[in-house]
Amino acid sequence: MAMQRRDFMRAMLAATVAPAVATQMEAQAAAPTPTKEGPPAPGPVPWMRGLDSAKVDPASTISPEEIGLEDVRFFTQTQMDTLRHLSDILVPPLKGKPGAVAAGAPEFMDFYVGESLPDTKMLYQGGLDWIDSESRQKLGKPFAQTNATEADGLIKPWLRTWMTDHYPHPVHERFLTVALHDLRFATTNSQAWADTMTGKEEKPWMDLYWSPVQPDISRDYFRPAQHVVTPAKHTSKR
Amino acid sequence: MSKEVVDVLIIGSGHSGGMAAKMLTERGINCLMLNAGPIADVTKNAEEKPAHALPYRGFRPPSRLPHVFQSNEFNANVWVDEKEVPYTYDPEHPYNWVRVRLFGGRSLFWSRQSFRLSDYELKGKSHDGFGDDWPINHADLDPYYSKVEQIFHVTGNKDGIPQMPDGDFFNDKTPWSPAMTRLRTVAEKNKFPCVKQRRAEGHDGLASSVNLLLPAAFATGKLKVIPNVIVRELSVDKNTGLVNGAHFVDRISRREMSVKARVVVLAAGTLESTRLLMNSKIANSSGVMGHYLCDQTYGVGVTCSVPEARNGRGAKITGGGAIMPRFRNLDTKASNFLRGYAYNCYSSTGAMDARCFATYGQELEDKLAEYHGSGVTLSAMCEVLARYENHVRPSTDVVDAWGIPALHIQARYGDNEFNMARDAADTAEQLAHEAGFEVLAKNSEPNPPGYSIHELGTCRMGNDPKTSVLNKWNQSHDIKNLFVVDGASFVSAGWQNPTMTILALAMRSSEYLAEQMRLRAV
Repeated sequence: MAMQRRDFMRAMLAATVAPAVATQMEAQAAAPTPTKEGPPAPGPVPWMRGLDSAKVDPASTISPEEIGLEDVRFFTQTQMDTLRHLSDILVPPLKGKPGAVAAGAPEFMDFYVGESLPDTKMLYQGGLDWIDSESRQKLGKPFAQTNATEADGLIKPWLRTWMTDHYPHPVHERFLTVALHDLRFATTNSQAWADTMTGKEEKPWMDLYWSPVQPDISRDYFRPAQHVVTPAKHTSKR
Repeated sequence: MSKEVVDVLIIGSGHSGGMAAKMLTERGINCLMLNAGPIADVTKNAEEKPAHALPYRGFRPPSRLPHVFQSNEFNANVWVDEKEVPYTYDPEHPYNWVRVRLFGGRSLFWSRQSFRLSDYELKGKSHDGFGDDWPINHADLDPYYSKVEQIFHVTGNKDGIPQMPDGDFFNDKTPWSPAMTRLRTVAEKNKFPCVKQRRAEGHDGLASSVNLLLPAAFATGKLKVIPNVIVRELSVDKNTGLVNGAHFVDRISRREMSVKARVVVLAAGTLESTRLLMNSKIANSSGVMGHYLCDQTYGVGVTCSVPEARNGRGAKITGGGAIMPRFRNLDTKASNFLRGYAYNCYSSTGAMDARCFATYGQELEDKLAEYHGSGVTLSAMCEVLARYENHVRPSTDVVDAWGIPALHIQARYGDNEFNMARDAADTAEQLAHEAGFEVLAKNSEPNPPGYSIHELGTCRMGNDPKTSVLNKWNQSHDIKNLFVVDGASFVSAGWQNPTMTILALAMRSSEYLAEQMRLRAV
């Protein structure tokens, strides 16, 4: 047991030490062998027995998006109808690639914007309301029912080029420019898009994903979730 | 329970802390380094993943890191969490404070651009009357720059440009592409220099404190490191007025502890060092601590296309990069701003960004295909004047996750910055037109203060203790065993990326400190 624990401590230290400083830190880590063992496991078998050989093959798992239907939680029905049509217009299916709608981009944006800061929420809600109202005023019908030519007349005049990290300021230009960027991004980085990739010339965006490094385990603040369902209050009113 | 008194306590492990540790331990001095974050091991903490396998499809996690424009879902966990370590600002004038607390700090993630300050910056007041001169000049820094350039394996050429002094570079013999040659030709017609970039190649792709500086310190056996401890305040001997250690809190367990030291070297990063001094209420007899915050404005410039390189012909025309160092306000005078800016120039043989085209759908895809491999970008790095009113101070009502008062940052760009930015965008557009490039996007408006991740000043150096916090050796005027070796000591920002200067100053200061300790003067 003492031996196992020492090995475990070494492994823990190795996990936190960058290669450049490993030698130094290991020298410091030559901790004395514990003279007392930890508390016994509350059962006939030590808890950790056999776990070092347990490994689930990640290839056998799928993402929830592949099978789950996404709830629409943030946008109103009208806003969602507008967003789905806008998605179809801005990022249509082309050359065997899924469009934004097939990639689930509108539903993803409902989730993503719903979790975002107020300025992003207002930009999207305001923008969707605005383009729908423009359509109703100018064409006498909701944006969701416009054809490609009609929609183009409402969208194109407002699109702008921009430089990295600096979207246009005026609100309509900003909304449509941001929406175009976000919908393309959500589409080309979707599972549906990846599924159509042929491999050699086309590869999904791969990068080094960083997990939290030793997160602060005793932090006393919480990030409230946006859609926490609070239990109904039981009142004593009669 | 008596614990040893360490010779030098170094707070921070980035470029400046790493340099201090290397210089001091190599001179036989025992050092203890405290770092606010953990030691990251890329083999354990990171793995290659496709964006579509991540919960946010590669988007920056919502509501997190709203001021770290550089973040995305892949790297979100390497930055300081703005809720864990908050800072405050006037909502009308936000500041992007971009921080890393991993061991090695921001030396793990930087653009590698490696320039020296010239006497146009170090003696700016003598040149144009604004602000203050530094108490040192380029000749004082020259030998240190040279050593730093060798350690960091800086590539570049001796171009003989006074406003961008030459150094001890590894020659850059890469060829000029036709597109970059066209740009250089029109620049030279306008009497603007246009030369190869100067870049720290480091070793095995990394140019960081953790691989170029700290191994030498560890090899002496005289450096100990404690990760995951956050310094709450420095302690002071009431009899002597000298600093004698630090109180710190364990980041993970919240256990409070302290350590005794003969000398303290602050290297926590410009604003964290100043925050710690202000929270400790020391070393500010001048009253200028926290003031003269400056950086460079980024975000201004043009994105262009080389018409001849379109439709698959880019490979033989585009590619490569260049730097056009400051050309304004050297021998001539601009009408509505002081100081100057440089252009980073890049040419891409790859895909264009969709943001270059104000269209969508099939038309956008056609444009992207047509313009592929034809890109040229000029992005300006514009000096921000060091002004008294741009300052930081401890927040009176916001604390971080460990109860340490947060920093309030008050930084606004003024007419000088906005006028310079407009000139930079207009001049870039003019150069592009003269070179026969099509300008696809232009931006004349700076990104928010702090965006360059070059926050500088707030403990500026000077000869007069009444108007500066540090002397010319990065040593506190008030407390002789206290040194601040990061970017806080800057008197002005210049247009240059500050890393080489921070490293040279930290090297020079540490050499001085070691000698003072040998003489028992500190």
